[in-house]
Amino acid sequence: MEIAVIGKKEFVLGFQLAGIKKTYSAENPEKLTETITKVLEDTNVGILVLQSTDLDQIPRRLQVIIENSVKPTIVTIGGQEAGLSLRERIKRSVGVDLWK
Amino acid sequence: MALNVKPTRSELIALKKRIKLSERGYKLLKMKRDGLILEFFKVLAEAKDLKNQLAEKYERAQRMIAIAETVDGSIGVKSAAFSASENPVIDLKSKNIMGVVVPKIESQSVKKSLTNRGYGVLGTSAAIDEAADAFEELVECIILSAELETTMKRLLDEIESTKRRVNALEFKVIPELIEARNFIKMRLDEMEREELFRMKRTKGKSAAKAAKLSAAHAAE
Repeated sequence: MEIAVIGKKEFVLGFQLAGIKKTYSAENPEKLTETITKVLEDTNVGILVLQSTDLDQIPRRLQVIIENSVKPTIVTIGGQEAGLSLRERIKRSVGVDLWK
Repeated sequence: MALNVKPTRSELIALKKRIKLSERGYKLLKMKRDGLILEFFKVLAEAKDLKNQLAEKYERAQRMIAIAETVDGSIGVKSAAFSASENPVIDLKSKNIMGVVVPKIESQSVKKSLTNRGYGVLGTSAAIDEAADAFEELVECIILSAELETTMKRLLDEIESTKRRVNALEFKVIPELIEARNFIKMRLDEMEREELFRMKRTKGKSAAKAAKLSAAHAAE
C-alpha cells in the first residue's frame, strides 16, 4: 500500500521530499478532477492526501465519493473546513453535533 | 391498520412468540447502538486531537519548505525531492470493534535518518533536511489520521443502520404485533361470549319447551 498526494506544485513538493513517489501536481480544476478519478481507481493507493482548498474546485459528485470513500482513505489537510463533511455525517447519524 | 390476521388461538400463540423475540432483539440492538456510540466517543476525542496536531504540523512543514526554498532556491529543493528515495510503505490490517471491521494502518520507513534520505548531504543545506523532517512527521500524522477517519466513517455507518433497525422495531414492528395480538384477543373473547349466549339461549328454549310439555301433560 502506498500514499498518494494530489495538489498544487508547492503542496506536492514537500511530500516528494519525504519520499512519497505517487505525487501528482494538478494546477487547474479539470486536471485535478481527472487525476483524482485516476488515483481512486488505483488499488495500490491506501491513503490519498488532498489540500482542502482544492476540494471546492472539483464536481459535487466526486466530493461525495471522496467523503464516503474508505479505501483509499482520503485525508484533507490545511484549512478549517476539513472536518465539516465529517461533522455533517456525525450530526446525521448520531443526532447530536459532537464535533467542537 | 388493516389487520390481516386470522383470529385463531394458534395465531395468537405464534404472535406472542414473535413479540417476545422482537423485544429481545430490540433490547440487544439498543445495547449495541449504545456501545457503538460509546466507542465512537473514544475515537472522536482522539480524532479531534489529531486533527489539531495535523494542522499544526502542516503549518510547520509549509514554513520549513518555504525557508528551504529561499535558502536553496526552488531548483535545489526540487532536485533534492527528486532524488529522495525509499517510499514509505503502509500496511493495512484490520481490527474489530463490536462487529465493525476497522483498518489498522501500520507504516514503515516514514521517518528516515539523514543518510537514508537519498539526496547528498553535502550538496544541500540544513534547511532542506529540516523541511524533509517536518514533512516526514506530517506524513506520520496523516497515516494516523487516515486510520481514525476510516474508523469513524465505518462506525458512523454502523451506528446509522443500527439506529434505523432499533427505531423500526420500536415504532413499527412491535406496535403492529401488539395491535394484532390485541385484535385476536378481542375477537376470541367476543367469540366466547357469543358462544356462551348461544348456549344460554338454547338452554332457555329447551327449558321452555320442557315446561310447555309438562304443562300439557298436567292438563291431560
